Amino acid sequence: MSDHEHNHGHVHKPAPMVEEVSDFEILEAAVRELAIEKGLFSAEDHRVWTEYVHTLGPLPAARLVAKAWLDPEYKKLCEEDGVEASKAVGVDWVTSPPTQFGTPSDYCNLRVLVDTPKLKHVVVCTLCSCYPRPILGQSPEWYRTPNYRRRLVRWPRQVLAEFGLQLPEDVEVRVADSNQKTRYIVMPERPEGTDGWTEDQLAEIVTRDCLIGVAVPKPGVTSNAQRPVRKAINPVHHDH
Amino acid sequence: MSATNDNRSDDYVVDITPISLLQKIQENGRYWEELSTEYGVTNPDPPWKITLETTCDLLAADSCVKPYDEVDLDSCALPSLERRTEEDELSETIYEDVPFPERQLLALAHSMIKRGLLNENELAERMEELEKRFNSA
Repeated sequence: MSDHEHNHGHVHKPAPMVEEVSDFEILEAAVRELAIEKGLFSAEDHRVWTEYVHTLGPLPAARLVAKAWLDPEYKKLCEEDGVEASKAVGVDWVTSPPTQFGTPSDYCNLRVLVDTPKLKHVVVCTLCSCYPRPILGQSPEWYRTPNYRRRLVRWPRQVLAEFGLQLPEDVEVRVADSNQKTRYIVMPERPEGTDGWTEDQLAEIVTRDCLIGVAVPKPGVTSNAQRPVRKAINPVHHDH
Repeated sequence: MSATNDNRSDDYVVDITPISLLQKIQENGRYWEELSTEYGVTNPDPPWKITLETTCDLLAADSCVKPYDEVDLDSCALPSLERRTEEDELSETIYEDVPFPERQLLALAHSMIKRGLLNENELAERMEELEKRFNSA
């Protein structure tokens, strides 16, 4: 049996990789190297911050929701103090980011928006793309688009329907607008069919899109749907 | 700290005049969605996306976390709100046909050149050097 053949009797092939350097890969490296040489930031700061960003993803936020579904006291803490509640899932908004070099250091106000049978929350950043990265990772492309940002605040019910989330008329939709100081995640309602589930099982169905508020958890659904990325019709004007 | 930053947006104009180096990259560069399909790679994002995000964060410094009218402009090379505004405008105009995150990268380079943080010629020269280095294995 070769080194690459294990007990289960098949040969592992190395994972495929892109064996070609694109102009975009070269551009990214060139911009970064020149910025370092010009003293706009240091190579060490870039390395440290990149390592931190690599660790981020939606799992801590999913676990926060799952824990809250199982523990009413913890749910109360989430509502009252999202920053404190984050510590139970390994995220300290103040000390987790390596902030000693002036990178985002105090975006430490997290609000957990708790849905009820008659109230659905959804999150946007109308100004740019503020997002609770320490607990939810990087924002998806559609979240960054002016189309989503402009239309969600005007027609939240209709935009949610476009995402496949049809809400009854008697459910109020509340849009939270993120900003530099305050970031939000949504705690959706625990779905039916999950009685007796463990925290791990529950966390699996709390997807990124559920935490932004454009989807609701469903047993068996553990990944985000492909979302359309629509262009804005009107040009961007900043004359306000 | 400046108390008058909010006035800057009154006549804020994004310079969308094309930059020839970036136009060439736009025309000839291969997008991640094409490369990943061709090579059978399932990662939805190119490996350089995280380092690009870091570059944007470090250029923005604390402007990511302070209201715009409280940002001391001397404290950051490229304030996050201005970068994102420019990215939005460029994404809907000259880089409209470029997918994300390649579009974010072109917009960042565009903003940096227009602001004098980078020079187009030195960027072109560095890219030539890097291409040789990357392909020398």
